[in-house]
Amino acid sequence: MSEATRPAGEGRRPHESGAEPLICVRGLGVRYGARKVLENVNLDIYKGETMVILGPSGCGKSTLLRHLEGLARPSIGSVRVDGTDIGTATRKELLRVRRRMGVSFQSAAMFNSMTVGDNVALPLREHTDLAESTILLITKMKLQQVGLVGVEDLYPTQLSGGMRKRASLARALVLDPEILFFDEPSAGLDPIIAAGIDELIVRLKQAFRMTIIIVTHEMASAFKIADRMCMLDQGTVLAIGTVDEILGHSHPRIRQFVQRRPDPHDESSHRYITGF
Amino acid sequence: MSLLASVGRATIRQVEYIGGLTIQFWHGLRLSFRVNPFAGRRLRWKRTVAQMSEIGVRSLPVLCVVSGATGMIMALESGAELRKFGAMDAIVNLVGTSMTRELGPLIAAIVVIGRSGSAISAEVATMVVTEEVDALRAMALDPIDFVLVPKYLAMMVMMPCVTVMGVFSGILAGGVFAYFAIDITLFMYLQRTAEILLMRDVLSGLVKAVVFGSIIVHVGCLEGFRVTGGPEGVGRSTTNAVVKSIFLVILADLVCTAFFYFFWR
Repeated sequence: MSEATRPAGEGRRPHESGAEPLICVRGLGVRYGARKVLENVNLDIYKGETMVILGPSGCGKSTLLRHLEGLARPSIGSVRVDGTDIGTATRKELLRVRRRMGVSFQSAAMFNSMTVGDNVALPLREHTDLAESTILLITKMKLQQVGLVGVEDLYPTQLSGGMRKRASLARALVLDPEILFFDEPSAGLDPIIAAGIDELIVRLKQAFRMTIIIVTHEMASAFKIADRMCMLDQGTVLAIGTVDEILGHSHPRIRQFVQRRPDPHDESSHRYITGF
Repeated sequence: MSLLASVGRATIRQVEYIGGLTIQFWHGLRLSFRVNPFAGRRLRWKRTVAQMSEIGVRSLPVLCVVSGATGMIMALESGAELRKFGAMDAIVNLVGTSMTRELGPLIAAIVVIGRSGSAISAEVATMVVTEEVDALRAMALDPIDFVLVPKYLAMMVMMPCVTVMGVFSGILAGGVFAYFAIDITLFMYLQRTAEILLMRDVLSGLVKAVVFGSIIVHVGCLEGFRVTGGPEGVGRSTTNAVVKSIFLVILADLVCTAFFYFFWR
């Protein structure tokens, strides 16, 4: 817990400069009825860094991400995105913040009633006054950027899971966002395509200096793309630090997660099932 | 105490539902005025036209058959009674006014609830379950603006249109009965219907059509937006949308009829 409350700006690389954090979470708590999903989460994310939010399934990663994206308003604590308090922001302020973000959802969330091209072009058509020919050109470029060619006229259901995910990334990137959110980029994908998506994120990071926030439980991909990591467990932050700091961390739960060791009670349940 | 608590909880739930419906209604109405076919937001207009064809044109065959059958039933049932008094001519008045003021809009609403109300809530609920609504919000698009408004505008245009068609087929079916029972030609029947119908009858039917259309779209969308759980939630929200729409349409019908009875005689 001492790691979680460490003062902002102490460390290396993007967060060393002492600049104001782009996203600042203080004392965030979320409860569904009596169940605590998040408790006292403090997190700073700086401009240009790639933050990976790690943790076992059901630890509150996606809930935290929804709060960072401004899709849910915090009831306890505060979330500030570039100075705008998400909890108290007006509808207009929220829309302004969201226009600077790109979000790629876990389930890709493509609009099934539209073609892939229309899906990717949607933010351009809604938020800009660009000519149709320009919109089509940008759409094609963005799809190419994620390695999809000639799929504009197909419907999302005609694509494979990996292609859908990449198309959803193209849609998230189409307005050149300052902040990119990525929920489980490699969930349900084979290792080759998952590695391809990791490569893509690294390239985006280098080329556009985007602030990228990724939620995952895939350790290999997390270590490859992260500048810093935030380890969540049962709704609380166990540690925030660079890849090396997390790898060398002494917290037993983090060691267990990094070394892929099962919970002890799982062994007894295995015995119950298998009989030995 | 537990009885009191459960009554209180149920009351709060209902009041909260009506509150949600009202907020959505005003928000949707405000955004509807921003849709302009000639400038910007081309996409919204295209979706509206697609919805018009879905809600209006495609429900016409079923609606005409159902309304025609209702008109014929009205004529048959009233004919049996009116014959005793030798007042078979009154069939024209009875079928004409009851179809225009009451049955036409109601039958149209029930057919549209069955076809479009359920489809609307299933579509919106599926969008919520597959995170498409979240994706819209994350793209700084208002789901009400993007999803509800095209459907609402389409319904506002098409509901009066399909109601008129339904009313006409009901009256026509009554005319077919009159041709065989009291021996007047279809032309004469229609002419007499036109004579006895007042502007008030027609307008009250159209006002009802617009009110029913609003209820169908808003209840369908609200049930969709409030879906909980996975795919089984979609089924639940569709059922709820149909049941609540029929319930509210009949209540609204009562309110409208009472209003016209007291204030516009």
